[in-house]
Amino acid sequence: MSGHATKEFKVRWGMVIDVDKCTGCGACMVACQVENNIAPATPEMDAWAGVTHDASNKLRTLTWMLVYEINNKKAFPEYEAAYMPRPCMQCASPACVPVCPVVATDKNEEGGIVSQVYPRCIGCRYCMAACPYHARYFNWFDPTWPTGMDKGLSPSTSVRPRGVVEKCNFCHTRFQQAKDKARQDGGDPNNLPDGAYVTACAEVCPTGAIVFGDLNNPEHKVHALAHSKYAFRLLEKLGLGPQVYYYSKREWVHRLGDNYLPNEKKA
Amino acid sequence: MDSKLFPEGIERCSLGKFLAWLAFISLGLAWGAYAAGIIFWKGIGVTGLDNYFGFGLWITFDLAVIALGAGAFFTGFLKYILKIDQLKNIINLTVIVGFICYSGAMLVLTLDIGQPIRAWFGYWHPNVHSMLTEVIFCITCYCLVLVIEYLPLILEQKQLNKIPFLHHLAHQMHVHMALFAGIGTFLSTFHQGSLGGMYGVLFGRPYAFREGFFIWPWTFFLFVLSAVGSGPVFTVLVCTFMEKLTGRKLVDFKVKALMGKIAGTMLTVYMFFKLLDTWAWAVDVLPRMGLTFDQMFWGTVYGKWMLWTELFICGVIPAIMLITPAIRNRPALLYLAGILDCLGIVINRYVFTVQTIALPVMPFDKWYVYVPNWAEWAPSVMIIAYGFLVMSLSYRYLPVFPQEKALNAK
Amino acid sequence: MGLDRRAFIKFVVGGAAGTLFTPIPWKLADDASIWSQNWSWIPRLKYGALTADATYSKLCPAGCAVKVKKVAGIAYGVEGNSANELSKGGVCPLCATGSQMLRSPSRVAGPMKKDGDKFKPISWDEAEALLAEKLKGLKGQDGKVAAISGDLSGTANEVLSGFLAGLGSKSYFYMPADQTAMAKTWNGVMGGSGQIGYDLEEADLILCIGADIMDAFGPVVRNQKAFAAKRPMEGDKALTLVYAGPVRNRTAAVADKWVAVRPDGAAAFAMGLVNLLAKSGKSASLGGFSEFADLAAKFGPEAVEKLAGVNAEALKDVAKALFTAKNPVVVVGTEPGQGAGVALNAAGVALNAMLGSLTVLPEFPKAVASAPDRAGLLAKDLVGWLNAVDAGKAPAPEVLFVYEANPAYALPQAANMAKALRKAGTLVAFSTFMDETAALADLVLPAPHPFERLDDAQNPYGLGKATYALATAVVAPEKDCKGTPDFILGLSGKLGVDLGFGAFEDVLKAKVSAIGADWDALAGGAAYVSDKKGSAQASLDAGALSKALAGIKGEGLVLVAQAHLNIGTGKLATPPHNLPTIRDTELYGKDVFVQMCSATAKSLGVSEGSKVKLAAGGADISARVSLYEGVMPGVVAAPLGLGRTAWDPYTKGKGDNVSKILAVSAEPGTGFSVWAGSAVSVAKM
Repeated sequence: MSGHATKEFKVRWGMVIDVDKCTGCGACMVACQVENNIAPATPEMDAWAGVTHDASNKLRTLTWMLVYEINNKKAFPEYEAAYMPRPCMQCASPACVPVCPVVATDKNEEGGIVSQVYPRCIGCRYCMAACPYHARYFNWFDPTWPTGMDKGLSPSTSVRPRGVVEKCNFCHTRFQQAKDKARQDGGDPNNLPDGAYVTACAEVCPTGAIVFGDLNNPEHKVHALAHSKYAFRLLEKLGLGPQVYYYSKREWVHRLGDNYLPNEKKA
Repeated sequence: MDSKLFPEGIERCSLGKFLAWLAFISLGLAWGAYAAGIIFWKGIGVTGLDNYFGFGLWITFDLAVIALGAGAFFTGFLKYILKIDQLKNIINLTVIVGFICYSGAMLVLTLDIGQPIRAWFGYWHPNVHSMLTEVIFCITCYCLVLVIEYLPLILEQKQLNKIPFLHHLAHQMHVHMALFAGIGTFLSTFHQGSLGGMYGVLFGRPYAFREGFFIWPWTFFLFVLSAVGSGPVFTVLVCTFMEKLTGRKLVDFKVKALMGKIAGTMLTVYMFFKLLDTWAWAVDVLPRMGLTFDQMFWGTVYGKWMLWTELFICGVIPAIMLITPAIRNRPALLYLAGILDCLGIVINRYVFTVQTIALPVMPFDKWYVYVPNWAEWAPSVMIIAYGFLVMSLSYRYLPVFPQEKALNAK
Repeated sequence: MGLDRRAFIKFVVGGAAGTLFTPIPWKLADDASIWSQNWSWIPRLKYGALTADATYSKLCPAGCAVKVKKVAGIAYGVEGNSANELSKGGVCPLCATGSQMLRSPSRVAGPMKKDGDKFKPISWDEAEALLAEKLKGLKGQDGKVAAISGDLSGTANEVLSGFLAGLGSKSYFYMPADQTAMAKTWNGVMGGSGQIGYDLEEADLILCIGADIMDAFGPVVRNQKAFAAKRPMEGDKALTLVYAGPVRNRTAAVADKWVAVRPDGAAAFAMGLVNLLAKSGKSASLGGFSEFADLAAKFGPEAVEKLAGVNAEALKDVAKALFTAKNPVVVVGTEPGQGAGVALNAAGVALNAMLGSLTVLPEFPKAVASAPDRAGLLAKDLVGWLNAVDAGKAPAPEVLFVYEANPAYALPQAANMAKALRKAGTLVAFSTFMDETAALADLVLPAPHPFERLDDAQNPYGLGKATYALATAVVAPEKDCKGTPDFILGLSGKLGVDLGFGAFEDVLKAKVSAIGADWDALAGGAAYVSDKKGSAQASLDAGALSKALAGIKGEGLVLVAQAHLNIGTGKLATPPHNLPTIRDTELYGKDVFVQMCSATAKSLGVSEGSKVKLAAGGADISARVSLYEGVMPGVVAAPLGLGRTAWDPYTKGKGDNVSKILAVSAEPGTGFSVWAGSAVSVAKM
């Protein structure tokens, strides 16, 4: 909409999430926390916050992957519900990147993943104000694990101190590992086969509702799925160009993907 | 006891009374310092901020005081560049108010950012595309300019000024003041604008997003105009408040009325564009995003009453009052207009900060209410107390008001 | 001293530049960058070789086949094992944090004995000696020693129940579940053998009556996999899913159709379908079917509408869909996975038999010859027994073993049940975690975490084929714990009870060889799947069912408890990493939320956020109201799994335990304890 530039990439990692298959079980959220060393909200923090800071305060939890419950806003018996997992959209034209005063977040690497450089972040939270998907989270306190649980941290993601913003990065370490493996095996790290690199949420999902791959690569499943007539993206009109697609055969689900004027037909 | 330190020929209250006053101010400082200590120790998790409201009271406070502190650069501009000589009678006050506002805002920002010891990264790893980078550069630089503008006033303190080196230093600074005023005007115009630009560029946030001119969204220009439309009258209000508090005449009413006229003119220009902008936003920008004007408001906290109050009661009305000589020249009405004007700008900064991020953009999301907690109020109170402290000391010991002696001559 | 213009500029510029030539600002800046990301209290990562070992995680009721991911030998995560038929690479939200639960703050560190109000650590030898002493005098007296097992699929039960049999006791009970209610129906009342199964993989239509197959019924991950396999994103769906139940729950959310059915009227709804199918000419080769069909005739669409709240057209639509489908499967159960009666299960069996989709899985051969038959034990009524103990109508056991179960928390009317448990002379809890039952026990003997132990799963309930999976210890124990069956084998040796084995590993080896499976393949993570079918011979007792069905009133406000796997189970409180998955419409701060539609709320005079007291069966809980249009009128939905009184600070004291207000009654005609869709009263506080 405004004059923001969109950088083109040869490889564009993305997801197609089948809303009609998501049962809202939450396994993706749990797997994400495990993979990315997100510490559980510590009850001790309640006292200091003066507000509920346990995990039931959804405005304070760190949920890189968050399953929204959506509904058609009708009363019983016409009521319908569905679940919408929301990772970082890795937008083609991210709202968060240009606003960062210290280049702590960037979209520059082949693959189109929006990075977040924790040691660079000053914690101004401007990127959070910019992102309409609420995909960015702030470390309000230093992370504390239950005693002993920090002995079994995932080697994938460094632990962030308080005061920095963090978000889903499509399990970036897995991307690195997949590229390394391709190099070792004499393959092309910029042309990974479908399935060589998969995020933790997509891997764990019991219904396979999250499909991950290179949107630009016709040999990857997501390529065709993203072009399906049942595919849509969140808030397309705003022009952020998410690399995460949703998929549903339900009209009302599509309509909740963006804002429409009362008499407006879906494009 | 400390009368030797007073400006030439000026009376001040007894030292005991003054110390009691300072003790009262210190209560606010102590409360804020305690909160700041907790915040630095535990992190800003102790505040009422959250992942939806990453910006809250502090940013609103910063933006408001920076707008209201705009009297400094704009009056400086008029005095030193456009040579409106009458303003010399209030220019010192505008500089002190500006200094308090800017240094106070920077103090709050230090608390507000999650990693205060990385605050300088804005210089070291700047992102030239970010409006915030521009804000960081301009605010810090302009704060330095304000220090430079404030310094000669301190050096002119009766006892200090007896030291030849300081006397000459102050003199030289005065000689070059037009240069600093120029730099200040440039810096301040830009960061006032950039603060507005910060919101206007948020293309994922329909409440704030605006198109604009070249790289600047309309909010860039609106923030500049609104700041110069309110900063001067804020100085007038501060001055009048000090007069009520001390029982002494400090600035000739004519000067105040002139400041009112200046602010009123700018406010009128601002309101013209602001109304135009609001209209264009409602009928053009929002529908293109699939949203309606009505959807921008919710319940009482985010109700339309706030917008109407900002635009009309605290916008159009004070603008008319200030540009109408018959109203402007009556002290009570001038002050009322000034209060409304400043209130309108504070509301503007509040809604751009909080309502922008409260508005659920995803259709399945919902409105949340943000309530600042004590840990945010305390530092804000601390900054106000800090302002009182700086102002009290300046008033007591520095030659702030050139007219004071004459106005209070018996 | 004068200062001219030149000197002034020199002073300013020189001062500023001079500072920059000192190392001070640069050193400080550099240090600040380093400090701000390397604070000593921020945990460091451990690097090393990355490995993944396959096992079978029994943290969730049915279990998930997983690979435990390790870095330098330390477990840190899990991934699904796609080579295993049971969960085909999927992982449930509980098993997904299995590695973290190895170091849960709730883990029991070692064997403990109650000493006043506190526990004091003892050694395993002391524990064994202590129990041997107690049990010695009880040998040969029925009812003096009892056991409750919460593991419905493990061979460990053969060791425990065989041990009890050796001591002369028949008091071996399983925790109630949809499976036990079906066992009571199929193996008890209907006289069938083997285990009822559901071949969802082959179905083109799945009708769930009550059973929340995506969240609470049976092997949830396998159900999800079976559903997803037939719903490809590219191409047409090969499966229709219909959910009939009171809440638009997770199954309903992905179903093609949701038919709102009162939880107390589920059996009437099923009988309504039997009736319509019978009228269309469908029949079943079950004994007593014609009397049963006559009974079903009383459940015409109008009667069903009255009893189950389902309108006649909706009922006919479902019957038509069943009639026209090629491979329809009807899954009966309850939203919370417990508390159903014989009537609903019998109707479910009959429906599947009429549709030609009745699946019976054969039992795997036993390893411990002296152990009683599994089906018979599953059919027993634990709640009925504990109620009798509570009422003084049955003698309290001298020693009560609790294995992999948390009856003090998870049974209906939990407070009464905890009281009854406490009547046991010595309560022994074999538990990995310090749960509510362990907190109540006299002796806590920590079982290893599922990743640390040898275990197995035979035919988790809900599968369509006889399946066996093996769990091996893939990490070294974090605590001083001991495999419960090994401990029991040691104890039995001391008491002269010969179970034929000295170590549990030998039991499992015998089991695997009796099944005819390959140990190495199983230990490598594959499941053994058999195509053998069990006998479908059984008979329907229309007399008893008639009485049971007559109990359905279809009136008043009823409670539907919901089991959400992410919140945990009766046995496992919400793991810290699962807390963010609980919605703020289920739990906020210390308040649990109950869901109801606006029509119900209006009739009760409550609104969003109202604080209410829910009372039933002589107990009450406090909660807040969350308006949710996905609950049918006349029904209040409430999540199970909250309101913990033991465990750790992450879960303790959050919300209230809905199990407390699950009011138990005896099903007319069968006497079986039921509590699905029990009445509840809601009062504003």
